[in-house]
Amino acid sequence: MAVAKDSMSRRQFVLAIPALGLVAAAFPRRINAAQVAVQTFNGPMADANDVYRPVTLPAKPGAATSMTAAQRDDLEHQIHCQCGCNLDVYTCRTTDFSCSVSPAMHADVMGLVAGGHTAQEILAAFKAVYGEKVLMAPVRSGFNLVGYTMPFIALGTGAVIVAALLKRWKSRAPIAPAIEPHHVDATEGELAALDAAVRRDR
Amino acid sequence: MILVGELSLWVALLMAAWAATVSFAGGQMRRADLIESGERAIYATLAMVVLASLGLWTALLTHDFSIRYVASYTSANLPKVYTITAFWGGQSGSLLFWALILSIYSAIALWTNRTRNRELMPYVSGTLALILVFFLVTICLGSNPFERLDFIPVDGRGLNPQLQNPGMAIHPPNLYLGYVGTSIPFAFAIAALLTRRLDAEWLAAVRRWALLAWFFNTVGIVLGMWWAYVELGWGGYWAWDPVENASLLPWLVNTAFLHSIMVQEKRGMLRKWNVTLVVSAFLLSIFGTFITRSGVISSVHSFAQSPVGKWFAAFLVLAIVVTAYLVSTRLQDLRSNAELESMVSREAAFLYNNLVLVGIAFSVLWGTLFPIISEAVRGNKITVGPPFFNTVNIPLGLLLLLLTGIGPLIAWRRASVANLKRQFLIPVSAAATIGILFFALGVHNLAALLSYSFGALVLATIVQEFYKGVSARHRMYGESRVIALPRLVARNRRRYGGYIVHLGVVVVFAAFAGLAFKREFDLTLSAGDTRAVTDAWGHQWTFLSQGISRYNVLNREVTAIALDVTRDGKPAGVITSEKRQHVDSRGAPTFEPSTEVGIMGSFKQDVYVVLAGVRGADGAEIRVTFNPLVRWVWLGGALMALGGLVVMWPAADRQRAQSGYAAVLKPRPIGEQVPDLVGA
Repeated sequence: MAVAKDSMSRRQFVLAIPALGLVAAAFPRRINAAQVAVQTFNGPMADANDVYRPVTLPAKPGAATSMTAAQRDDLEHQIHCQCGCNLDVYTCRTTDFSCSVSPAMHADVMGLVAGGHTAQEILAAFKAVYGEKVLMAPVRSGFNLVGYTMPFIALGTGAVIVAALLKRWKSRAPIAPAIEPHHVDATEGELAALDAAVRRDR
Repeated sequence: MILVGELSLWVALLMAAWAATVSFAGGQMRRADLIESGERAIYATLAMVVLASLGLWTALLTHDFSIRYVASYTSANLPKVYTITAFWGGQSGSLLFWALILSIYSAIALWTNRTRNRELMPYVSGTLALILVFFLVTICLGSNPFERLDFIPVDGRGLNPQLQNPGMAIHPPNLYLGYVGTSIPFAFAIAALLTRRLDAEWLAAVRRWALLAWFFNTVGIVLGMWWAYVELGWGGYWAWDPVENASLLPWLVNTAFLHSIMVQEKRGMLRKWNVTLVVSAFLLSIFGTFITRSGVISSVHSFAQSPVGKWFAAFLVLAIVVTAYLVSTRLQDLRSNAELESMVSREAAFLYNNLVLVGIAFSVLWGTLFPIISEAVRGNKITVGPPFFNTVNIPLGLLLLLLTGIGPLIAWRRASVANLKRQFLIPVSAAATIGILFFALGVHNLAALLSYSFGALVLATIVQEFYKGVSARHRMYGESRVIALPRLVARNRRRYGGYIVHLGVVVVFAAFAGLAFKREFDLTLSAGDTRAVTDAWGHQWTFLSQGISRYNVLNREVTAIALDVTRDGKPAGVITSEKRQHVDSRGAPTFEPSTEVGIMGSFKQDVYVVLAGVRGADGAEIRVTFNPLVRWVWLGGALMALGGLVVMWPAADRQRAQSGYAAVLKPRPIGEQVPDLVGA
């Protein structure tokens, strides 16, 4: 690259830049105590009084417990704790010492299970009270289907594009070898030995 | 020192702005003095950012609580090591840490290219300086770590207990080293686009940087998983949290690039694609930072919400617009030299692999953003948690694992039927054998079964490749096989380092598949109570509570339970799990209680105990989780990192020469695999 070489006043530059920095820093902004940063790493972010809402249904006539403890735990894995922890109810209540939301939601699940309600009915009851956000994954219907299928649609579209490209590239492929040779300094003897080894390997 | 640091930050900003201005101007006007001035300004920026960092570290270590950052993230009784790592524990400090790494990387990139790539370098330094300007403006005006309080608290708030963990001390720096590492390839890509010098020159300059970013990203992700596992206490290592996803996105795209770059090097193809991948990896790194700092998506890992999220969004949009414009106006210059000879060839396999990697990246991005999209379309808030991501990504992950086994078996340019038969015989047999064996042993979970089967395919492929390479050296040089193996790897680090990475991938997938056999139990125990449970392998475990103990240690009040554990009636040891209430130097609680998990680990499974609650004086609620094969995740991660190191390790000139044998030996029958000693 042909470049011109002019002289510059570096001294002026070296002096001017820190001076500007000093001016800019001369007015440190002060803040008040209320603005001390809040660390939001994990831990419950909401109290049960603020976010918990009871989920109840009348017990079915002659109700008996509708599922085993293991099935109930599986069900609680599908319900999103509302304390802000991003965990499901089972995991939150068995992890977080101080969360008051997941034990309350667990108590609701226990009550609904004792009332003879099925897993689907319990999930529907929670959804009716809290909205769809209480489910750990969107229900597979309506617009949510776009969510579930889009990755596969995108992959399929990508596959079609790749196939079309490959076909186009193949149709105009030159017969001549197209590998760009590397700059190799190997001796003829080394190359011959390697070629012989490769032949024996066939 | 603190004042010097604060001033240095502003000087650094002005230096970086100067560097950006004169570098681009110098490149355009072809003036050496401006170019030189720009490069020196980058070095000066580095010096200033180092001073600023030293200033912040001084403030932290001297407990200068008049500074908001120090008061917010440390306390007088915080152990010294965590006082040092608090540098990146909060928003403004981590931004400064980002700027520090970027300025170090920038200086190294300029120094190592002081006699090379001179046409590109003005634009490289200009682009890097612009990125530095963005970060320094954000730090100085949006989130300044030297901001002062209008009062001086007696003590600071302390560092979040969950950040007081060795994993958290080293995981964020690694992630930042990975994120920031994508800036250098991005700068070279922008320089190549601006100068229209889109040949192999810029690509050769960025490969090692992309590898470096990939390496640190890998280490950062695995350490993050380990930290989440041992510290958060929810029983797993990956929750598909938005911030976890954000770290995975650049890793996936960078992995795709490290494969597709080989196609451009060998065949001169995929030029547009490679530029797009390099640019995307950087943009996704910025996107990850935006997610972490904007509060736009709920995450347990987020920093406190702050206005800098908007700054990142603006920078992201600007970067997308500029790069899209540059790429779209240079499509002619990005046309490929070579064409494809067969759909069944190594280069085609790399394309399929890229398709799946980018497909997974898209699905992760889509799932992360879908709550926002859904709310915008339907006005309805939803949660997209692990069930969604597992549904979508498990099939894609299995497809990727399958391609990891298939790709290396196919010859460059065109694979003949004979070649395919010979190459695939052993790996396919291994896959079928393992599949049938595991099914017979009772593994009926389809995803797990396919995972082990495909893993066997990849493993057999790797072993076959190593065996053939060692055999060839044995025949050619008469070396013993023990000597031939390390020499084989040393002579072609790129190829065999890549296989070590693939081995790590197999190990990690095998461990993931082990989650199908996870078992959880929720137990209530008083002192002296015993409960028995059975794991997925049929072993009976008993847990005898020795009661609850309460004591003070360092900066925390501890509540602990000790459990005597037996397996099938034989003593297995004692597991202790704790809840910790951290306190400041006056004994006042600082944060919510945190968990200290009790883990009794082996390569077969971890017995993972969490003290979930205390009832009365000695009653405890505990969760016992049997987590199969978790150690294999850390082992797989270590293997991937090791493979990355092997690939990155500089080769001697003679070795570089040998790696070109494949190209020299080209007059060979089409479809014949070039085995063993040659470059991948």
